[in-house]
Amino acid sequence: MLLFLLILWILSAVLVLLEQRPYRIVIYFGIFSLITSVAYLFLGSPDVAMAEAGISAFTTIFFLVCMERYYAARRKVGAQADSETRANTVPVRKRFVRILPALLFSAGLLGLFIWFIPTGEISTHLRDQYLALFISDVGGENAATAIYLGYRLYDTLFEALILVIAVVAVSHMSWFDGTAMTGSGRRRAEIGHSSMAVFTMRIICPIILLFGAYLFFTVHLTAGGGFQGGLAVASFFICRYLIYDIYDIPIKKVIKMEELVFIGITIVAVLAIFLGVVEFAQIPPVIYLNTMNVLIGMKVACSFFILFYRYIAIERAS
Amino acid sequence: MNWLELFPVALFFISFFGLLIGKTVIKSIVYILLMQTSVILFWLMLGARHGTAPPIVQDAAYLANLDTMADPLPQALMLTAIIIGVSVIAINITMLNALFRKYHTADWKTLDAMAREQEDNDS
Repeated sequence: MLLFLLILWILSAVLVLLEQRPYRIVIYFGIFSLITSVAYLFLGSPDVAMAEAGISAFTTIFFLVCMERYYAARRKVGAQADSETRANTVPVRKRFVRILPALLFSAGLLGLFIWFIPTGEISTHLRDQYLALFISDVGGENAATAIYLGYRLYDTLFEALILVIAVVAVSHMSWFDGTAMTGSGRRRAEIGHSSMAVFTMRIICPIILLFGAYLFFTVHLTAGGGFQGGLAVASFFICRYLIYDIYDIPIKKVIKMEELVFIGITIVAVLAIFLGVVEFAQIPPVIYLNTMNVLIGMKVACSFFILFYRYIAIERAS
Repeated sequence: MNWLELFPVALFFISFFGLLIGKTVIKSIVYILLMQTSVILFWLMLGARHGTAPPIVQDAAYLANLDTMADPLPQALMLTAIIIGVSVIAINITMLNALFRKYHTADWKTLDAMAREQEDNDS
């Protein structure tokens, strides 16, 4: 089964690699992400599979808007002689000679990797220790959650910091002068033209929010958690934009809120794990896990909300 | 080692090759995404060498069948890696939009020529 999935996976990847037309790259990339997510599930990691599914939906939206602007820019310039029009004029042999060094370089790296890969039995000491001790050390029933909220909390803090930096960088670099939100000539979301899509989204919206809340509060029992729940909540707000065409939420306040939530995550993490308040005050670990996950989920939801609004709603309208 | 693990390794180097010869900035970003996905799949396959049951404990008797469970450590690390990867992609795409606004093209060679021209004009 896994072999079949992997063959499909590599075929869809080759489709992505060989395709030259940008819109089709996005479609093939969606197929690729779906197969990847199923493969993660078969490898016994439902958390990562859910995260990949949610993330790839966002990436697809980003790429679609990027393509739209790409074509708009090309239309503005006219038929300029760049790679898409020039591709077929060079003879095949010359092109092959041109790519030969790159081909040899990457093939050599692949050979080196396969040559140096260790062949013996891998040590399972750490895995056995984590699996045997995580209930008494951190709590909960999901070992992956226990690791990223307990044993390796530094990684989660670092990842939250990177997300904050990404949001700040995106809002700093994007083309926004503050006038677009109140302008009268802004474009509406095109989905408003299709009443069927709007109807479907109105039904799906509360279900998405409910699913996000479910993911927040059952993290210690099943797969899921802050990241995935945050993605679901962010997609609720995005659906709200798509249906009613509202983007009246002040972005600056959301950014401020995200920073505050990040400070909250740091404080809770330091108090609970590094100072040992959970063990000292006999707080049940479920409360710590849920608090941490709700905070992480709020932060991820804020981040993706800002990325989407910044990227699609505001930049598109300006 | 399990020979199935060669699939993600192969895809990593194929997309590395694509990154070296890619013509447009859009395709370069897609290649970076593919490399990242193959790294994540490789780690998860390393973690699933001994068993592919999800590491979620249903009852107290789980200690008896520890060997069928997947390794939870790569999973926790890869969750982090996915989020960091999407931040990188978001920043890349925003920079690409700024590029469109300024130069109206995504072709590496045209951009290179434009940048050189600008340098000559400055000096």
